Amino acid sequence: MGDFFQFTLTGLTIGSIYAIVGLGFVTIYSVTKVINLAQGEFVMLGGLTMYSLSTSGVPYWLAFFITIGIVMVIGWLMEWVLIRKAKGASPISLIILTIGAAIFIRGIASMIWGKDQVRVAPFTENNPISIAGATTTPQGIWVVAIMLFVVLFLYLLIDKTLIGKAFQACSVNPLAARLMGISPNRMSSLSFTLSAALGALAGLAIAPILFPSYDMGAMLGIKGFSAAILGGLGSAPGAVLGGMLIGLFEAFGAGYISSGMKDAIAFSIILLLLLIRPSGILGEKNVGKGGL
Amino acid sequence: MKLRGVQQTTWMSVLALAALIVIFPLVVTQSFYLTQATFAGIYAIAAIGLGLLMGYAGQISLGQAAFYGVGAYTTAVLTTTLGWSPWISLLFALLIPGLLAFIMGYTMARLSGYYLAMATLAFGIIVHSLLVEWRGVTKGASGFFGIPQINLFGYTFTQGISYYYLVWFFVVMVVIISLNIVHSRVGRALRSIHDSEIASSAMGVNTGKYKMQIFILSAMFAGLAGWLFAHMSYSISPTSFTFDASIIFLAMVVLGGSGSVWGALIGTLLIQTLGIIVHALGEQVSFITSDFEHVLYGLILMLVVIFVPRGLFPAAADGVRTISLKIRSRKVKKEKQSRLRGA
Repeated sequence: MGDFFQFTLTGLTIGSIYAIVGLGFVTIYSVTKVINLAQGEFVMLGGLTMYSLSTSGVPYWLAFFITIGIVMVIGWLMEWVLIRKAKGASPISLIILTIGAAIFIRGIASMIWGKDQVRVAPFTENNPISIAGATTTPQGIWVVAIMLFVVLFLYLLIDKTLIGKAFQACSVNPLAARLMGISPNRMSSLSFTLSAALGALAGLAIAPILFPSYDMGAMLGIKGFSAAILGGLGSAPGAVLGGMLIGLFEAFGAGYISSGMKDAIAFSIILLLLLIRPSGILGEKNVGKGGL
Repeated sequence: MKLRGVQQTTWMSVLALAALIVIFPLVVTQSFYLTQATFAGIYAIAAIGLGLLMGYAGQISLGQAAFYGVGAYTTAVLTTTLGWSPWISLLFALLIPGLLAFIMGYTMARLSGYYLAMATLAFGIIVHSLLVEWRGVTKGASGFFGIPQINLFGYTFTQGISYYYLVWFFVVMVVIISLNIVHSRVGRALRSIHDSEIASSAMGVNTGKYKMQIFILSAMFAGLAGWLFAHMSYSISPTSFTFDASIIFLAMVVLGGSGSVWGALIGTLLIQTLGIIVHALGEQVSFITSDFEHVLYGLILMLVVIFVPRGLFPAAADGVRTISLKIRSRKVKKEKQSRLRGA
């Protein structure tokens, strides 16, 4: 029983990260219909930028916000330089475009930061705590808290503000949105910037646990993409659910079967679930409409 | 019977390719370049299959390296562990990836677009994990050693010029098969699926069947490439069959142009040449490392999608066609003018 609780806790922690990355996918997809496979690179950039800033003497929390700012600028640039130029390309081309961007960013990162893993200090003092026989660290709790914060923030932004209404309008019908005086281009820009911020936040939260390196983004991006697909592409609650499930599959797979096989186990279950529900768990309502 | 607008296999271009293949080792004799050219041939086979899948069936596969790896490991296990002849294992290196593709295609038939991309990606990761973890069969992460060389009528294909010719013989075969498929009824059906799946199924094309067939074919080509790869090197390890390898196949197809068999071949050659150039530069300039190669791949993918979305080969072919049309129309104009003057 202690094992079970421990694996659940680990699964929820890592699942929260996948959920945030998945939300990044959904944010961009719902407005632009682009799957941004460079989403994981935002996470990597978040972790490594924080490392550079904090080791060069910038106060921790200042570095935290500067990091988010820098990654947001990169996200904005990516939309402005790449996605806007490729408007109207087929989904296959768009996937390839963002894969290209991901490889490019990863290559640059390996030239800047090298190939070693780096250590980033946790948010608060990091003595392990034990809850009912399972141990976790305060950073693990922070990760879950940040995920909850992101969900709440997105909910308020999308459902309760005028910008959110414009966002939804663009995802439902860009042409009609334009006739109402909303600029889809600006919304597309906003979605990339916002999504980059989510990625950076995920990177900052996970950095003290995972020890970031230049190549951490690839797998995180793939898992986040899987979370978004598993939940039903375009559905924000789906992405969170998908992320949590993948985290749990991995933790239980690693715990009960074999740690080397955890990715294979998680992806096999995802494939099986997709066979049963081809449009994802919460997909039906939202696919095509792309509502957040 | 020749119908207007129906493309046919041009044997001239296949002959030209064969001539180039024969001449290359006579001109370039350094073993490094010969090895690279042999690898280029192996990648080209996998890339041509992926190109057919993407350009003609309009499907994306982010897990092509999995079929390539399954082909390589199938032959490694059959020839090394069980001691079979490589020629018998070739059959299995084609059949097993084909069978996997059939199972995948059958179960994934309801998926499309991004969901399919995700499924192929997941498949690639599962296969890679199995190659690493299924130690009893694959020997795990450290790799599989002692794969025998290929023998034909007492002649052994050793790494070097003989293996180069063997690989490129298969490339020519694959090109001919692909061109014939592309220019057949099946090819036209596939192209109609690529352009509009709804319209083609309305015309009575069984879209599912054709997509499945081309998916299986692309997996078998990848398996063939894997077979050649395994017998070229004495050892193989799972690192050759990662997600990155799938991406490199993708880059080759995108660069050359997915709507054409020649495009995939040319894309492969360009990417391989690029690798050689970066390698050569890296020996002189210290900051150019293998990472730099990845930066370049990324840059190429982005630039091609933005500026030449159909790939270099179709764009270049169109360019040549417009120029020749212009020249011809100018000639016609001149003739008309001179005739007018004469009259």
